[in-house]
Amino acid sequence: MDFYAFVEGPLTWVAILTFLIGIVVRGILYYNASKKTDKMIHKYFSWKWVFSTYAKWLLPNNVTFKKQPLYYLTVYLFHICIVMLPVFAYQHIVMWEMSRFGWSWISLPAGLAKWMTLAVVFIGLFLIGRRAIHPDLKLLTKSSDYLLLALTILPFLTGYLAAHATLGTTGFLAENMQLFHMLSGQLMLILIPFTKLSHAVLFFFSRGATAVEFGRRGYSM
Amino acid sequence: MSDKADPQTMADFFKPRLNARFKTWLKICANCALCADTCHFYLANDRKPEMIPAYKVRFINEILKGKVTIDDDYLKKMYETVYYECNMCRRCALYCPFGIDIGLMVGLQRAMLHNVADIQPAGLKSAIESYKQFGNQMSLTQEDWVDTIEWTLEEMEDYYPTLDIPIDKENVDLLYTVNAREPKFYPQDIQEAAIIFNAVGESWTVPSVDGWDDTNLAMFCGDLGTSKMLVEKTFKQAEKLKAKRVAITE
Ligand code: SF4
Ligand code: SF4
Repeated sequence: MDFYAFVEGPLTWVAILTFLIGIVVRGILYYNASKKTDKMIHKYFSWKWVFSTYAKWLLPNNVTFKKQPLYYLTVYLFHICIVMLPVFAYQHIVMWEMSRFGWSWISLPAGLAKWMTLAVVFIGLFLIGRRAIHPDLKLLTKSSDYLLLALTILPFLTGYLAAHATLGTTGFLAENMQLFHMLSGQLMLILIPFTKLSHAVLFFFSRGATAVEFGRRGYSM
Repeated sequence: MSDKADPQTMADFFKPRLNARFKTWLKICANCALCADTCHFYLANDRKPEMIPAYKVRFINEILKGKVTIDDDYLKKMYETVYYECNMCRRCALYCPFGIDIGLMVGLQRAMLHNVADIQPAGLKSAIESYKQFGNQMSLTQEDWVDTIEWTLEEMEDYYPTLDIPIDKENVDLLYTVNAREPKFYPQDIQEAAIIFNAVGESWTVPSVDGWDDTNLAMFCGDLGTSKMLVEKTFKQAEKLKAKRVAITE
């Protein structure tokens, strides 16, 4: 098996499984630890507060959105594209169709996918630049924050370059773009459970817990 | 710096107290600064970046990682941050996308300073000593307290002849508790509460012994032992007098 086939085949499965199992385990670990150490949250738990906080924060319908609408929507778009593109890009669905599962589902129109990919790249770059300039962010930002942002952009940048052959068809970079795309995507999937990117799943637990805490006092956040 | 205050003891204090939420928050905080201008300290200090809520809990991670030198300067900075740059109002938690409750974690840092390094504002320290010795923060004796109630009532006789402040009355609706500063400095506050209760015909009482001071300053520096003792005293009175509810002063 050559390297390309290895990355396309086994490594993809390793990455997808690490990601899936990783986030489930993260969730279970959180839940178990919280049963032991956050008894109050469980005692006063109510889906009412939890769902209402999800509804407010998974949609632009919350206090922070009202405070900084432009920034909020920008980051919101960033997240939507990051979640939607890997699942609904038709190039990915084709791979699933050809896999042993033969699965297929509706895909994003190619034109829209293109703009969404560019959005991830440019918003990502904007976020990196903002961290380097804004005094508040400069103080808080650690090198890992830059690194994770860069690693987040990478699969989308390489995906764009591969899909549109922007760099032409010859040369080391251009010839291997597909490979870089797969590798960077796999790296990101694997990193999600183990880094700050685990907020993809921990967001739900963290918000839920604080929502219960404030909900108990009658405040829906 | 006290002998107990070595970095390992500090880390050991934090570890068992980092519940699932705290651990997650320290891990996933995106350093996004969205919480910055929700904090009145940030706004009141000309948007000084050091006042960003997320920045005020850095000590926990630093101490756990063991990469900083913990000397008097470090502890002084930590003390100033957790007492004079955050009053644990928890407003920032409402604006953080993850609902990260900085106030709670500032509380944990205060607890570490108090319990491990014996660092806390002088006022809190003396209040705690007074709680332990007298059961209230103003070092009042039981007699001082009961006397105050009695002369307070006498003073009002001419204006409100039927006024009463029942002491240790059983089977009431409300057990009324006060801030120890009231008997010490502002007895008129007790008079005013009494006037209202009597006007509306409330069934109420005040306890004659420990438990009447409802302040809990020990809580503010994370002295949970003393804090618990105070709450228990009040509830013990409520049970003894079979009061339905405990009311605290304004
Ligand atoms: S809890 Fe502390 S950091 Fe947060 S808004 Fe209140 S004072 Fe500021
Ligand atoms: S506490 Fe929340 S709002 Fe503040 S920097 Fe961290 S993630 Fe952002």
